[in-house]
This record gives sequence, C-alpha cells and structure tokens, in this order.
Amino acid sequence: MTSAVVRSAPPSGVAPRSSSAVLFLRRNRGVLIIVAVFTALFLVSTIFSGGSFGYFEASFMASGGATLALAAMGQALVILVGGFDLSVGSVVSLVNVVLATHMGTGIGSEVGVGVLGLAVGGAVGAFNGFFVAFLGLQPIVVTLSSMFLVRGVTVLVLDSPGGSIPDGFKNFFTGAAIPNFLPAALLVIAFAVVVWLAIKGTRFGISIYAIGSEEESARSTGIPVRRTKFLTYVVAGMFYGGAGIFISAQTGAGDPLIGDPLVLETFAAVVLGGTVLGGGRGGLIGAIFGAYTLMLMVNILLALNVSAYYSSVAEGVVLILAVLVSALHKDAPLAQGVGSMRRWFRGWRAGLLPSQIQWGGAPVHVELSRSAAALRAPNVSWMQRNRERLRFALPAYVCVAGVLVATAIVRPDTVEHWSYYNSLIVLSSFLIILALGQGTVILTGGLDLSVPWVIGFCGILAAGMIRGSNEASLWVVPAVLVLGALIGTVNGLGIVVLGLPPIVITLAMNGILQGAALVYSNGTPDGFSSSGLHWFLTGKITGIAPVVVFVVLFIVGAVFLLGGTVFGRRVYAIGNSVTVARLSGVNVPRTLVLVYVLSGVCSALVGVLLTGFSGQASLGMGDDYLLPSIAVVVVGGTLITGGRGHYLGMLGGALLLTALQTLLDGTNLPHAVRDIIFGLVVLGAVLALRERQTR
Amino acid sequence: MRLHKMIARGLLPLAMSAAITAGLAAPSHAADKKLKIFLSMSYIGNDWQAEAENEIRAMAASKSLRDKVDLRIQVAGPNAQRQIQQINSMVQAGANAILVYPISPTALNAVVKNACQRGVIVAAYDSVISEPCAYNFHIDQLLWGKNQANWLVKQLNGKGNIVLINGVPGTSVDLLRKQGELEVLKNYPDIHIVAQANGMWSQAVARTELSKIIATHPWTSIDGVLMQAGCYTANAMQKEAGIADDKLRPCGGEASNGGRLQMLPAGTQVDGANGSYRPMGAHRMSSGSQNFSGALALKRVVEKLEGKDIPKLTVIEQNLVTNDNIKLCETGSWAEMRAGCNVFKPSLIPNPGWFASVYSPDVPEVGVQGALTGKPEE
Repeated sequence: MTSAVVRSAPPSGVAPRSSSAVLFLRRNRGVLIIVAVFTALFLVSTIFSGGSFGYFEASFMASGGATLALAAMGQALVILVGGFDLSVGSVVSLVNVVLATHMGTGIGSEVGVGVLGLAVGGAVGAFNGFFVAFLGLQPIVVTLSSMFLVRGVTVLVLDSPGGSIPDGFKNFFTGAAIPNFLPAALLVIAFAVVVWLAIKGTRFGISIYAIGSEEESARSTGIPVRRTKFLTYVVAGMFYGGAGIFISAQTGAGDPLIGDPLVLETFAAVVLGGTVLGGGRGGLIGAIFGAYTLMLMVNILLALNVSAYYSSVAEGVVLILAVLVSALHKDAPLAQGVGSMRRWFRGWRAGLLPSQIQWGGAPVHVELSRSAAALRAPNVSWMQRNRERLRFALPAYVCVAGVLVATAIVRPDTVEHWSYYNSLIVLSSFLIILALGQGTVILTGGLDLSVPWVIGFCGILAAGMIRGSNEASLWVVPAVLVLGALIGTVNGLGIVVLGLPPIVITLAMNGILQGAALVYSNGTPDGFSSSGLHWFLTGKITGIAPVVVFVVLFIVGAVFLLGGTVFGRRVYAIGNSVTVARLSGVNVPRTLVLVYVLSGVCSALVGVLLTGFSGQASLGMGDDYLLPSIAVVVVGGTLITGGRGHYLGMLGGALLLTALQTLLDGTNLPHAVRDIIFGLVVLGAVLALRERQTR
Repeated sequence: MRLHKMIARGLLPLAMSAAITAGLAAPSHAADKKLKIFLSMSYIGNDWQAEAENEIRAMAASKSLRDKVDLRIQVAGPNAQRQIQQINSMVQAGANAILVYPISPTALNAVVKNACQRGVIVAAYDSVISEPCAYNFHIDQLLWGKNQANWLVKQLNGKGNIVLINGVPGTSVDLLRKQGELEVLKNYPDIHIVAQANGMWSQAVARTELSKIIATHPWTSIDGVLMQAGCYTANAMQKEAGIADDKLRPCGGEASNGGRLQMLPAGTQVDGANGSYRPMGAHRMSSGSQNFSGALALKRVVEKLEGKDIPKLTVIEQNLVTNDNIKLCETGSWAEMRAGCNVFKPSLIPNPGWFASVYSPDVPEVGVQGALTGKPEE
C-alpha cells in the first residue's frame, strides 16, 4: 500500500506504445515472476537430485503442496481485501479432526462429512467476517481470538492424534484422476483456480480489489463494503476448509496440531506470489505458486544436502531473493530508492537541499511549535486532550481489573499480597519491553516477525559470553543490545533500501538467526547467567524485584519516546500516511530504520532478561513471544495498519495477558477451556473498545 | 643425500600419485556399497533434538558403521506437510532407510506406507509412526507417567497438594504421560492437584509457567511437583524463595543433568558447580525419553538392511534415577556409565538443561562425547 504507484496507469509517454502483450506482462508481473522462480528452483532440484521426473514425482509434488496452496489461496483473499488472518492454521486443524472423527465409510458419509468440513471452514470465516465487517474490529485481533477459540474446540473434538479417514476418500483426493497421467491433487487445485476465476469476474470479485485498494472510495462508489468483506472471510474460510479436507485425505487421520505452523507459511506463500499486504494488488494464482515454491525448498535442501543447521538460513535467503527478483523493475521501491538517492545527491552537489539553504536567523519552526503548544495548553483540559487515547487504552485496564477480581474470587488470599503483583510485573516485563518494539513497528504499519530468534540468538550469545561472570556481564549486555540494534538495522535497510515487505525480511531474518544460534551453540547452548543478572530478575529488595524498578523506568521512557519526542511524532506520521509524512519533511527511511533498530534492541533486551530469569539461555526460548507481542499491542488499542495507539494501552495489554494466564495456570481447567477463555477475553477487550468507538 | 633426493624426485611423486589414485578410487568404490540412510528431523531448536542428532551422527561415525553408512540429515521444521514432502523426496533420492523424528504419529502414515511399498525401511524414534510397516523405537510414555506418580505418592505418603507441569498439549506423548499420572493419582483421594500448566518440555517455559502458579499458590501450599520437564528449574525457584535444601519439595520429572546434580547429597564436591547447578540433596525421580533412541534405531536399521530380523516395536527401557542410585560420572565414557554412574560434572556439561539420559547397554558406540559433539566412543 505504502509505496503504491497506480499500476494500471503507466507513465504517459509509454502508454500509447504498450501493446496488449506488454500490458499483460505488466499486470501479471507478480505471478509471472513467481512462476519463473518456481520453474528455476524446480529445474535445480530435478537436476541436482539426478532423478527423472515422471508421473510419480509429479503426483508427490502435486499432493505435497496442495494443502498449503489451498490455505494460502484463502489467506490471499483476506489480504486482498485489506485483512490479515491468523486463524488459518487452527481452521485447518479443526476441519481435520472433525473429518477424522466423524467420517464413516460409504459414499454418503464421505460426501456429507466432506461438505461439513467446508461448512466448518465457512462458519469460522463467517465468525471472523461478522466481527471484522459488521462490527468494524481489526482483522488481526478477531482472527487472533478465533484462533484460540478454534484451537480449544479442536482439542475438545480430538485431544491427541488419532481417528481415521476412509480409503475411498483418501484415494479420491490423493490418487490419480487419470491413472499414470493426471494426479487428483492437480485437479483439486485446478478446481480451486476455476472457483477463483469465477469469483474474480463477478461484481464480488471486483469489489474485493476495490475495497483492498481504497476502502473509502469503494464505499463512495456504492460498493457494499460490509457485505463484500463478510463474504470474503466466508469464502476464505471455505478455502481453509478445503485445505483441511485435503490434508485429511493426505494423512488419513486427525491431528489437533496439524495446521498450527501454516500461519506463517501462508503469509510467505502469499507474499511470494506477488500479493501486497494491505490489499488491492495480487491474486490467488500467485499464492498457489508461492506455496509450491516453499514446498520445493524441501527438495532443494535435500538435493544440495544443505546441513541441518543451515536449512533455515537457506530458506530465509531464498525467500529474500525470490521477493527481490520481483523488485527489479522501474517503479519498485528499490529503483525508486536509488532514484531518490540520486536526486538527493544531485541536489546536495548543487546545494539545493533544504538543510543547505541559508534561511537567515534561527530555525523558525522550532519557535513556532513551542509557542503554539504553550498557547493551546491552558485552554484544553487533560480529559479533552486525552479522550481519544483513553478510549482505546482503557478497555485493557478494565479487563485487567476484571481478571484481578476473578483471581480474588478463585484464590482469595493472593490478591491482597504485594508478592502477587511483584510476580505479575516480573512476568509481564518481557511483554512490556517487547510491546515497545513491536508496537512502534506496528504504529508505522509494519510487523516484526524476527522477534523469536532475536530473543533466542541474543540470549544464547549473552549466556555464552557471560558464563556466570558478573564482570563480563557489564560489557556483554551492552554488546548484545548493540547486536540487536544491528539486526534491526539490517531489517530496516531491507525494507527501506531493498523495498522488501516487513513480513518477508523479518521472517527471513528469523530463520537466519535460528541458523546462527544453532551454529554458535552447536545445538546445545552451554552458557549461563551471572549471579547479578539472575538476581536482577529473581532477587528482592524489600519484596520488590529489581527488574520491577527497571520496568517502571522503562515505561516512563517509552511513553516519553513515543509521546514526547520528534521520533515519536514521526512514527505516528508515517503510520498515518507515508506520503503525507514524506511531503511534510519527515525522513521516512531513516525513521523506519530506527523503528526496526528499536524493535531489535527490545528483543535483544528480552533475550538477556530471559537468560537472567531462567539462569540459562535455551534454543527456542523466544518462540512463545511472537504472537503475544502482537496481541498485547492490538489489545491495547493500537491499529494494526498503523498510526493509532498509545504505549500505555499496550502496557495494559501486557498486564491483561499475563494476569489472565496467571489466573488460568492456577486452576485445573482443561487446556481446551483455557484457550477458549483466552480467545473470548481478547475478543471481549476489543469489543469493549469498539463500543466506546461508536458512542 | 642422493638417496633422499632420489626418493624425493622419483618415489615421492610416484607414491603420491598412487595415493591420490587410491584416494580417489576408495570412496567411490565404497560409496557404491554404502547404505544410503536419511534422517528426517522435525524441529531442531531444542536441547533434546540436538543431542539425539549428535548421537545418531556418532553412531554413523562409529567403527562398525562408518564404512557401511552414508547418513544425510535434513530438518522439516514443525510443519507435517513438509515432513511428508521430505520423506517423499528421500524415497525418490534412493534411500535404503529413513530415520524419522515424526512431527505427528498419524500424519505421515500415507507417505510411510508408500515408502515401505518401495522397499525403504522407515524407523521412528522417540515419537511414534502408527503406520504398521514402520519400525518404532521409544519408551512407554504411559508407564513414564505411572512411575513418576507412584514415586511422588510414596514420597508424600499419599497425601498433599501437588502441581502438574505438562508437555505440549495435543501430542500423544503428553496425553499418555498425563493419563499414566492420573491413573495412579485417582487412587489417592488425599492427593490434590491444585494447578496445572503446559511447560512445553522446556526449562525456560517451565519457569514462566511455574512462576505464574506460584503467584497464586505460594510454595507453602504445595507439597510436591510432577513435571514432564523442569524439576531443575523448580528446585532453583525454591532456592530463590529461600527454601532450605532439605525442605525442597519432591519432584518427579525429566532427566536433565542439572536436575540430577541437585540430587547428589548437599556438600558433595563437584567441579564447576555454581548457583542452583550444584548438589543439594533434592528429592527426585529423574527419567525421560532416552536420547539414544535414534542412535539405537540407526544401528538396528542397518542390521535389518544386512538381513537380520528386528521387531517392529522396540520399547526402550526407562532409566529410573532416584536418590538411591544417583552416582557422579568422572569422564562420561560408555564403560563408566555401564558401571552405574548417571550424572555429569558441570565442568563437562555446562548446560544444566542438557539431558543426561544417554546411556544404553545396547549402544556402546555412543557415550557423553557422542551426545555432545557427535564423536563415537573409541
């Protein structure tokens, strides 16, 4: 969205000469590139594995990528309309266990339960669509809560791998449609493509693109925005249902966890396929090829015998390269960036840059803004100035209060003791810190998926160099924070200079850091925290852990950083509109890089603190912090598309999540019920937010 | 001098070229005969997996196997889809056998069946593949739960409040272990489970989850703990809460080296002990999924490929370590472990989360060095 140039209107000089073939190439550049990348990788894998490519290989490949392809098609649809769907994996799991537990042999049951699978997908889609389209909630929050709800229901249906799918059903989807010629899986994908092309041609299809491109304009031209959005989620849910049906046929059994890893993979497939996050551009065909390209990576890694530790690195690099290839054209961010650098350089040589021009006298704008603020302040009450912020930040705190009341009922003797709050703050501290980094990234309209392994890598590195020495930790901790800043710089430069979507570069960075951590630790991290660092998190001075004091200072600093500095204002400006920010003189690239640097430093700090908390660092120690880091930010009232949100809201989100988990952990409730409660509270928090919005 | 020069000018190049020819010929000759065995791991980002992989590499590099086996290791990640794809491409690449750490006991059935039909031996270690043609090597997880619960009940004289830290919800290992624990505990009405949480088989997660529980159930209200992983952490947390060594709550759980070191009588002199990673006489039962199960699977699979019959299911015996049989190892060689030692010095194993369950009478090829670095015992 951000750097969107209207593609359908080529520069005037070129337009008359464009033949229809050129136009076709131009329009379908995203798809064509991913097809080319797929073909190239396919050739590499076939040549290096030295094998032939016959019907069996084709059949394996067609079935192997079908589930991801179908799921990615649904995700692409949601992204086209400007949304974001975290529930995809859980829907696939739910459909899988429903089929595995309910399908009997016989054509009636097979068809009936198969259709039920599609309906289940559609139903979850309708749930998502209802809250997104009709109640105007943010897609990421709605789908986050439905992800937890569906996960809970899934485990209620089937609590561990089991069940079975009849052979007839399996063969129908994974066998041969025409023996030794056409694998059934290809037919399934072809059918999905036909469905998509049919949708694309209708008013509904055109409305999806229109809404994704510019919702307000779409509404003005009379497009039924709400109905279209709702239907899009329903159709997407049915695609997930299709993926669930296919994986059931492919595996022949049920597994309540089967779909979980699909979330990030569908994002990668969609982005690889040329669909732009934010909506309006791209399509489902690209997503199919994106999905098959990702699956092909497995074959390539095997054919080239890439060592286990480096496989996530290789995948990250291929992801970046594949997306970079599509950036090699003249209105891509890379070219634009180079162009603007060249213009800047020319201007600098000619002495025409604003900073080079002598204005005579003191810089005027500083004076102006100060006096303006001084003038306005006495007239406007605190409530008036902050009403907007309170509206979005308050619901999280109301929910925290609710959870505390519930805790007081369940465990009467805990809430009145300070030690409960001490634990609560210590346990929240990791999310409180991550919320600043992730929150600032989200405020600019981005997303940092590298959080887990920045935490893991920095934690492992810190423990490995500290090795119990308090003296060493004095230089190691700052050094690791600098490393976090460097990682953030690379993320930021990838976005600003290479024009990579934030999701792509940070996802790839996550994989690369995972490899780095494995190589550094040789699979077993063996360092440990120093006594001082451990004390910082677990010790007590008159009942207060030292980290609690630090967290309070951190919060004050964070509020000031986002609310009281030029940097903070630039962040909000970029989130509201990159173009307006740029035209107002904000150095967008520099600010964006700084935002990712901040996120890198926050993650690195959490890595260090977690090491201190546990006493050791371990591989995967950051794995459980990615979704929560996003959740606390949005539950705190931040808009995922950027520009709106306050750090105190995110703080409320962090406290809410931790207090809720603390309450649930202290009970004997089954895991499934906890997931459901968790999902409901997240949804409830944002519903409260919404009610205030309309009033 | 002349002789030397002659040798240098004439014989040396000759010898060298002979060596080169031999060197070139030997591997290609051996490669023809070598068994092509693939390892498909699921997730590699934790200690247990890394150790298991090292032990498999050590087994492949051991004297008995190094000339027979060409081992290639690949990682599928947490996505079952990718593991299916991976196993398929291993079959296509001409595998004789495929070792698998299966992501799911059911999801791989179709692809494994297909591999079997093409004459490929498929063996799963630790976790399970339920397709009947696969070979499985794992401990009895239900029995694990029963053993731990029985031990704890005995420690508590059948009475008290306990906390359960489980594994990864939705997996069959977690379910079986919980079932085993609950089957035993239901016979003791005076044992109360006051709280449970998912520790995801990670010491780091165990700490955050247990900290949450302690926020509402202080240690004074807890008499014992059952943890699929995390007893080391539970003891460390009790020390931070100021609980004396002899008042540590009994904990039934994992085979981490840190947890075992804490079982040694307080005051035992051990190289490299520090912080909570020291002998404190903690009441423990320590056992876990055996890290050598993959190495054993490799050994057996090679035997099978050489024509020997092996059973479809190898139930690996559990190594139950309690305060009665805990014993410190000096070097960690296989021979020493056979003599009965079962915990290692922090100077050898600096990571307390490292799993000490590396000894098997059936795999003399692998000792602690194998688990640490992938080097076989000599």
